[in-house]
Amino acid sequence: MLILFLTLPATVAIAGVRHFGYVYEAVTTAPGSLDIENWVTWSHTSNPQRVDGVDFRHEFEFGITENFQASLYVADWFYSADPQHSGFTYSDSALELIYNLTNPVIDPIGLAMYEEIRAGDRVFELESKLIAQKNIGPLILAYNVTLEAAWEGTGLQDREGELQQALGASYEISQRLSVGFEMLDEFVFPEWRDTERIRNFFVGPNVCFRHRNWFVTVTALAQATNTPDEADFQLRTIFGIGF
Amino acid sequence: MRMKKVLVLLGVAASLMACESLNYVPPVTPQMAGATTGRPTDVATLRKGRTLLVHRCIECHTLPLLWHYKTEDWPEIVNSMAHRASLKPAEQDAVVAYILAVRSQK
Repeated sequence: MLILFLTLPATVAIAGVRHFGYVYEAVTTAPGSLDIENWVTWSHTSNPQRVDGVDFRHEFEFGITENFQASLYVADWFYSADPQHSGFTYSDSALELIYNLTNPVIDPIGLAMYEEIRAGDRVFELESKLIAQKNIGPLILAYNVTLEAAWEGTGLQDREGELQQALGASYEISQRLSVGFEMLDEFVFPEWRDTERIRNFFVGPNVCFRHRNWFVTVTALAQATNTPDEADFQLRTIFGIGF
Repeated sequence: MRMKKVLVLLGVAASLMACESLNYVPPVTPQMAGATTGRPTDVATLRKGRTLLVHRCIECHTLPLLWHYKTEDWPEIVNSMAHRASLKPAEQDAVVAYILAVRSQK
């Protein structure tokens, strides 16, 4: 990692601001730019038992071309506090690629394709996403549809699929501040079957503050369904900075 | 019922497409290049400026109305954010040229 920092060109600049905590935007970062983003997500679950957890992600985002960006999540790890076990655990690392197809300002809809490959300690996951966005004056509307396939456990024998829709709106109140909301609609398929009919729906507000070469975005989501083992409440903070 | 949902979606889509007045970044015309005074430019530069404006600037913020600021303020506004948007000097000039060309059309 030290080598990576030392070899960065002196002209490197901050990449884009995230206006949402959970919803992705179709805009890709400028070629040659670098952004370092730290994600912290606290989740609270009470059904069937009380569990609090904090997930951490550390992302290096690179602009490759005008329409293509790559991100490296060097280490995803989490802290869990539950009655049986508490402590820090490394989870995985990931590579994310986003290709922008159309622009959200001058085209009717801005579109981008997203692919993420995640691998780690007893987990392998593929995530594909179609990102749609429209900018209307100071308002940003974004919609994602995501298909996720995960293999987990010893020998990666546990399989799970997930289909997710996410919708977000962010209104720019001033040059530095935006506020809005996000909602997530999840369909979970253990062993790629829908026998358990697991449906999760989360909704909540977001706020984004940016200044000079840094930004911070916070989104709070509450579960509107009552699915066991799913978080009742989650709070995500993304702090991004450029060098 | 399904038809009603489709109609609602089509209505929303049409409304979004009709919102171009709020995203005023008109395509470049030869008249724009001819209308700029004091800063001679060409159509290719203006096209490049428009492309950069709608790609780089919206990475951090939405686009303001181009007549929201004074003509003489625009070079400094773009300059203050050029590094963050990874704009090289020629690209920065192209963005300013496009903005001033649009303003000269109003």
